[in-house]
Amino acid sequence: MNYDILIVGSGIGGMESALKLGDMGYKVLVVEKEPSVGGKMILLSKVFPTLDCASCISTPKMAATTHHPNIDVMIYSEVEQIKRGKNGKFTAKVRKKPTFVNSAACTGCRQCEMNCNVAVPDQYNSDMVARRAAYIAFPQAVPKKAVIEREGTSPCSYTCPAGIKAHGYVALARVGKYKEAFDLILETTPVIGSLGRACYAPCEGECTRGSLEGPLPIRRIKRFIADTHYRENPEPQRRFPETVGKKVAVVGSGPAGLTAALHLARQGYQVKIFEAAEQAGGMLRLAIPAYRLPKDVVDRDIKNVTALGVEIETGSRVENPAALKEQGFDAVFVATGTPVARSLQVDGENLDGVMNALEFLSKINLGQKIDLTGKTVVVVGGGNVAIDSARVAVRLGAQKVIVQYRRSREEMPAHHWEIEGAEKEGVEFRYLSAPLKFIGDGARVIAVKAIQMELGKPDAGGRRKPVPVKGSEHQIAADMVITAVGLGPDTRSFKAELELNKNGTIMVNQDTLQTSVPYVFAGGDVVTGPSMIVNAAGQGRKAAFFIDRFLKGEELAGAGYNYRLPPVDQQKVLARQKSYRKLEPVAATEHLKRGVRDFSEVEAPLSEEDVWYSTGRCLDCGVCSECSQCIATCPANAIDMTMQEERVEVEACAVIVSTGFKLFDASLKTQYGYGKYKNVISGMQMDRLLAPTRPYNTVLRPGDGKVPDNIAFVLCTGSRDCTVDNPICSRVCCMYSVKQNQLIMGALPLADVTVYYIDVRAFSKGYEEFYQQAGAMGANFVKGRVAKVEEKEDGNLVLYYEDIDNGGKLSQAEHDLVVLSVGLLPNAEVFNLFSGVKLEADDFSYVKEINEDINPAQTSIDGVFVAGTASGAKDIPDSILHAGAAAAQAAAYVERTRMSK
Amino acid sequence: MSDRKIGVYICHCGGNISDYVDVKKVREAVQGEPGVVVAKTAMFTCSDATQQEMVQDIREQNLDGLVVASCSPKLHLFTFREVARRAGLNPYQYTQVNIREQCSWTHTDDKPGATEKAIRLIRGGIARTALTEPLEPIKIDTVPKVLIVGAGIAGLRAAVGLSDLSISVILVEKSTAPGGRVAGLGKMYPHGKNGREIISQLVDEVKKRKNITLFTGAELVGKSGSIGNFTVKIEVGGKKVETVEASVGSIIVATGFEDYQPAAGEFGYGIDGVVTLAEYKAMLDNSGGKPALGGREIKSVVYVYCVGSRQQTGDNPNKYCSRYCCNAAVHAAIESAEADPKIRQFHLFRDMRTYGKFEALYTEARDKGSVFIRYSDAEPPEIQKDAGGRLKVTVKDLLTFGEEIVIPADLVVLVTGMVPRSNNALVDVLKLPVGRDKFFNEIHPKLRPVETVVDGVFICGTCQGPKNSAESVASALSAVTQSASILKKGYVELEPLIAMIDPDKCKICDVCTGACPYSAIEKGQHRGKEVAVVNEAVCKGCGGCAPVCPANAINLKGFTDDQMESMIDAMLKEIV
Repeated sequence: MNYDILIVGSGIGGMESALKLGDMGYKVLVVEKEPSVGGKMILLSKVFPTLDCASCISTPKMAATTHHPNIDVMIYSEVEQIKRGKNGKFTAKVRKKPTFVNSAACTGCRQCEMNCNVAVPDQYNSDMVARRAAYIAFPQAVPKKAVIEREGTSPCSYTCPAGIKAHGYVALARVGKYKEAFDLILETTPVIGSLGRACYAPCEGECTRGSLEGPLPIRRIKRFIADTHYRENPEPQRRFPETVGKKVAVVGSGPAGLTAALHLARQGYQVKIFEAAEQAGGMLRLAIPAYRLPKDVVDRDIKNVTALGVEIETGSRVENPAALKEQGFDAVFVATGTPVARSLQVDGENLDGVMNALEFLSKINLGQKIDLTGKTVVVVGGGNVAIDSARVAVRLGAQKVIVQYRRSREEMPAHHWEIEGAEKEGVEFRYLSAPLKFIGDGARVIAVKAIQMELGKPDAGGRRKPVPVKGSEHQIAADMVITAVGLGPDTRSFKAELELNKNGTIMVNQDTLQTSVPYVFAGGDVVTGPSMIVNAAGQGRKAAFFIDRFLKGEELAGAGYNYRLPPVDQQKVLARQKSYRKLEPVAATEHLKRGVRDFSEVEAPLSEEDVWYSTGRCLDCGVCSECSQCIATCPANAIDMTMQEERVEVEACAVIVSTGFKLFDASLKTQYGYGKYKNVISGMQMDRLLAPTRPYNTVLRPGDGKVPDNIAFVLCTGSRDCTVDNPICSRVCCMYSVKQNQLIMGALPLADVTVYYIDVRAFSKGYEEFYQQAGAMGANFVKGRVAKVEEKEDGNLVLYYEDIDNGGKLSQAEHDLVVLSVGLLPNAEVFNLFSGVKLEADDFSYVKEINEDINPAQTSIDGVFVAGTASGAKDIPDSILHAGAAAAQAAAYVERTRMSK
Repeated sequence: MSDRKIGVYICHCGGNISDYVDVKKVREAVQGEPGVVVAKTAMFTCSDATQQEMVQDIREQNLDGLVVASCSPKLHLFTFREVARRAGLNPYQYTQVNIREQCSWTHTDDKPGATEKAIRLIRGGIARTALTEPLEPIKIDTVPKVLIVGAGIAGLRAAVGLSDLSISVILVEKSTAPGGRVAGLGKMYPHGKNGREIISQLVDEVKKRKNITLFTGAELVGKSGSIGNFTVKIEVGGKKVETVEASVGSIIVATGFEDYQPAAGEFGYGIDGVVTLAEYKAMLDNSGGKPALGGREIKSVVYVYCVGSRQQTGDNPNKYCSRYCCNAAVHAAIESAEADPKIRQFHLFRDMRTYGKFEALYTEARDKGSVFIRYSDAEPPEIQKDAGGRLKVTVKDLLTFGEEIVIPADLVVLVTGMVPRSNNALVDVLKLPVGRDKFFNEIHPKLRPVETVVDGVFICGTCQGPKNSAESVASALSAVTQSASILKKGYVELEPLIAMIDPDKCKICDVCTGACPYSAIEKGQHRGKEVAVVNEAVCKGCGGCAPVCPANAINLKGFTDDQMESMIDAMLKEIV
C-alpha cells in the first residue's frame, strides 16, 4: 500500500492534519491504536474557552476523517516500526490487532456488549465505571464497531484437557445464566454432572486466584450448573440434527465415546455406540462409587447424547472394530478404555474372596448386593481405585478395612482428599507393606502374608523403589482381599486389524487419532492408558473433529484443531490491580462419618450464594471469558473468535506523528491521597463526570455517591514540580479547571468551588475573560500550593495549604470532593517507532522541533513531522493550529520529493 | 396532505438536549406531520452509526426530505447535508432545526416550555422541507494564487509555504520594507534565535521564488468576487502611485499587532528611565545586552508586568492577557543577567504565565538572580523619582505577607502587551470581523481557527490575537494549509441559497441594488427589457433584497416566501 503521508495517531491533531491533506488531494493513511478515532478530546465534556461540547467538535471531524475519499483509517492498529527505504520513502510495519468482530458485518447494535458477562474498568470513563469485554469504546465511537478484548486464553480454560471453557461458564454462572453455562460446557462434552463431581480439576490448579487466597472451586461450580440444569430439565430436549447420511460407530460408552458421539451426532452423523457392559457410561458407571458420583447423574449425562438420536447398544462387545464397516458404518471410533485389571502375580490370587477392584466396584455399581458386615477387608494398592474400593467396603459394613500400600503416604497416587476421606470413614492404612501371598483356608482367603518395605533408590520413574525388609514377614487376617494395582486395555481381539503398542494400547497418529485402518480412529484410555475423565473427553472431542474431516474427505494434517489464543501471563493479570480485597475460598465440605453405611453423596453442593461469591472472585484473566454469548446473540453473525492479528507493510513519502500525550498519574503525588481516598479524583475523572456521556448522569463523589457541595481543585498536580520530574507547566490544567468550575456551577448551582493555584495561566485568546467569568460566577481562587490532603471519617477531605493572599499563614480547609488538576506528560512510545534513524527528543522528552522558530512541526528526521501535543503540551486550538502547520510542512515535503524526481 | 416523504431525526445530544427537552414526546408530536414517514430519536445524530442509519432510511424509504433536530447548523449543517448526499438525496432538501442552542440550552429552567418550543421549531423545519427543491451548488474554478496582506514573519512564512505547494502569492506590505516586528528583534525566546537573521533568511527566500510577487509600500484597497476567484485592487506607493489588479483564490491577512502604548503617567511612564518592554528589548539588542541610560550603567531593573493587559477598570479596558509578555520579560532578564551577572532585577507580577516549556525560562531567570514579587491588582506598584532623582518603586509583596517594599531602580521596564492594529481601511475592504478584544475573529477557535466569516479570507499571526513569533509562524502555516486545501482542488462550491429575481415581475427600481451589502445585484437584460440580475458568485443569500422589492419579484432560494409562510403556520399550530 502506497501513501503520500502516514499519520500516526488520530487525536484532534492527527485528524486535522489528515483532513487538510486529504482535501489537498494527498493520499493519507491514519493509524490509530484505539478502536475508535478521536483521541482524548472526544472524552472531554465541554472545552474552553467557548464551552463547546467536545463531542460536537470531534464527531464531525471523526466522521469526515473516516469517510474522506483520500484518507484510509486503520483502527485498533499499531505502527511497530518505521524505516526509510532505499527510494527515500518510509516503510511502516503496522500490526492490526484482532477485534474478533467482522467490522464489515457489525452494525454497532451493542447486543454483544449487553450480553457480555465480563466487566472490566472502563478506560474511556477514567476507570470510574465498568465496561464489558465486548464493547464499543464510547457512544460516539467512529467507526461504531464492537471490539472484543481478549488478552489471551484464561489459564483455567487453557489447561483443560477437554477444552472446556472454564472461564466462560464461571462468567455465565456469575450472572446467573446457568442454562447458558450448561450449554457452553455441553458444547465440549456431555458428561457435565460427572465432571462436576469426579474431575480432578486441573483448572483449579492453574487458577490465578490460587496465588492469592486460593483457587475458585471451578469443578463444584460446574456441578452446580449441571445440578441446576438437571433439576429443571430431568429430560433433555430431543433434537435431531439434520442428517448428512453417514454412519459412525463408537465402541465404548465411557467419557471418550460419549463425547465423540455428541460431536458427531451434532454434525449430522448417525451414531451408534456399542457397549460391552450391561449399562452405558464406562468407568463413570462401573468404577466410580456412587457416593462420589451418583448413577442418576451418569444416566442424565448420557441422555445429553441420546437426545441427539445416538443409539446405545449395551451388552454388545465388538471384537473387531474394523469389521463394523461391513455393517454400514463409514467410520469407527474405538474408545474401549482399560477394563482389564492387572494381576499382582502372587500366590492365592484365585482364591475365593480375592477380587480385583474393578470387578468389585462394577458389581456394586451395577446393583449387586454384597454384605461385608463384620468382615475384614484388605485392599492392595494406592491409587484412587484402591481408595474407592476401601470406602465402598466400609459402606458394605466391613468391620475393618485396611489399605495396604508398598510405599509411604507421600508416594500414594490417590488424590489426597480421597485418602483423607477414607481415613475419616475409618479406613486403616498400612504403608510400606506389600503382599507376598494370599493364604487360603481351603478355597477361601483368610489372610494376607505381607512383608515390610523400605524406600530405596529412586527408580526410572523417579519414585523411590520399595525394598523388602528382611525378616519382616507377617500376616494380616482378611475375609476379603481386593487388588487394585492398575488397569490395562483389552485389545487382544483387535490385533488382527489394528496396530497396537507393546502395552496393548492402540497405536494412533497422535495428531489425528487415526489408527492404522484409515476409517478407524481411537482415543481415550485405550490409547493413552489409564487416565482421567476429562482427558478421555478431550480425546473424544478430538476424534470427532478428525472423523468429521475424514468423512468429508478433507485433509487431516494441519487442520488447526483447537485453535486458541496463548494463555495469559498470570503475573500481568495480577499486576492489573494495585491491591486485592481478600476473598477466602468457600470451604470444601464433605459429609464424612466413621463406618458410614450408605452410598449417598459425600460432597456437599455449593449453594447459589456460594456460587455467586465464588464466581465473583474470578479475575477474568483472559478478559474475554469465551462464554460465547456474543456469538449467540449477534444478529449480524459478526463475531469471529478465530480472527488473528495481521501485519501489513505500507509505504509513505512523509510521516506525521501525532501520538499525543499521557496524563500524569495522580497517585504519584502520595500526599494528595489519590487512589487511597475515594473522594480525591483526577481532572480527567471530573471531566467525565461532566461529559454528556457521563457515567452517573450527575456529578457525585465516588466514595458514597453524595452530590458534592464544596469542591476543591488542586492545580499543578504533577506539573511545575521537580519532585515528580516534571518541572514544566502543562498549559491546559488551569483552563480545564476553570472550565470545570463553570460547568459545576451550572450543574450544581449550590456548590462552592475553590481553586488552589500557583499562577492562573489564562494566556490565550479569550482565556483571561473566561477566567474572570468563573470568578464572577463565584469560583473562589486561593493562591497557595496544597501541601497535603487528609481524609476524615465521613469521607470529607482536609487540605493543608499556604494562604498567600492572606498573609501567607498555613491554613486548613475542608472539602467534600477534591479534584487534582493533573498535568500532561510526553508519550514516550513515539520514540520507539523509528528504526535506523533517530527521532530526537527535546529537554522534556517531547518530540523535538528542530527549527521551531521558522519550521514548526519539523523533527530531526527529514520527512517526519510532529503534530499536536506530541511535541509539547498544548490546548486544543494550539494543537489544531500546529496540526495545520504540520500538514503544510508534510505537503511541502511531498512536493519537494516529487519535484526532485 | 403532503406527498413528500420526510425523515425526521431528533437528537438527545448526550443529555445536552434530552435533559431539558422530552425528546420522546417531541417525536410523538411530530411524527404525524404532513409528509413525515420516518421519525426517530438518537443519542447522537452526528455519530457515525446514526448517520449510517439515516443513509439506510433515505435509500430504503426513498425519502425526499430530511430534517435533523439537533444543534446549531453552524456545527452540523454540512455533516447532515453530506449524509443526504451519500444517500442520494439532494443536500438542499435537508433542514437542520436547532433545538439545542436555541432551545434546550436557553430554557434549562422550563422543561415543558422547552419541549413545546422544540415541537414548534421542528414542525417549522418539516414545513420548510416539504417545500424544498433540489438545488445544485454554484461551482467556481479557483485561481491558484493567494493574496497575503502583511509581510511580517507570518506573511513571509505563509508566502514561502504556499510557494512550496506551487501556489502563487502576491505579498503586500504597507511599510517600505518587509519583515514586520521580528525584523527589529535580536535574540528571541525560547531558542535564542536572532529575529533579524530569521527575517533576512525569509526575505531572501521570498525574493528567490518566482511565484511570489512582493509589493512594499502597498495597500489592499479593493476586493470583489468570491472565494476561489476574488479580484483585488492593490495601491502600490512610490514616486507614482500605481494600482494593480489581480485575481486570487483566497486572501490571507497577517497584519500583526501594535505594542501597548502606556498613557503618560501610567506606571510612571514618561519619567526618565521608565520604558516599555519593546523599548528595553531594543536597548538590549543594541547594546549587546548591557544597555546604559544617559551614559550610566544600569545596575538594577524593575519589571512591572501586565501593563496594558488584564485590565479590569477604565474605559475600554484591555481585558485579555497578551500571552507573550511574561515569557519575553523573563527572557530579557536572562539576557541582562548573562551580560551582567551582578545586575539586580525585580519582577512585579500578578500571575506568572510562563506557560508550557517556557516555565524553564522562568526557573532560569530565578536561578540567575531575578527576584519575583507578586502585587495585587487592587494595589498596583507606584513608580516615582526620589529626592535624589533616582527611580523608586513601591509595592506590597503578597509573597511576603503583604510587606511594603521600596525598590530603588536604575530602570523600570513596563512589560507591555500587544494591542490590535487599527486597520479600519482593511476591515472595510475585506469586511473582516472583529472580536470583543478588537483582534480579528476566527469563525471557531477549534473547528476553523484561521477562517473568518468571509469565505476565502483567512487570518493568521498576531492580527488574530497575541502570539509569539513561533506561534505566529505555526498559524501562518495553518492558513497555508487552509488555502491549499481549497485551491489545490481546483474549484469551490458556493451555496445556491441565493436571491433570485423573477424578471417578469422586476420593474428595475434600484431598491434592491441599494439594499445589497455585497453589490451582487447588477443590471441586465431579459427579453429586451432592462431588469435586475443577481451575480450568483457574489450573492451571499442574506435575503436583504427580498422584502424590500416593491414588485415582490425577489425570492430567496431555500427560503422562499411560501416556505417562510408555511413554517410560520406550522409553528403556530396547536400542540395537543
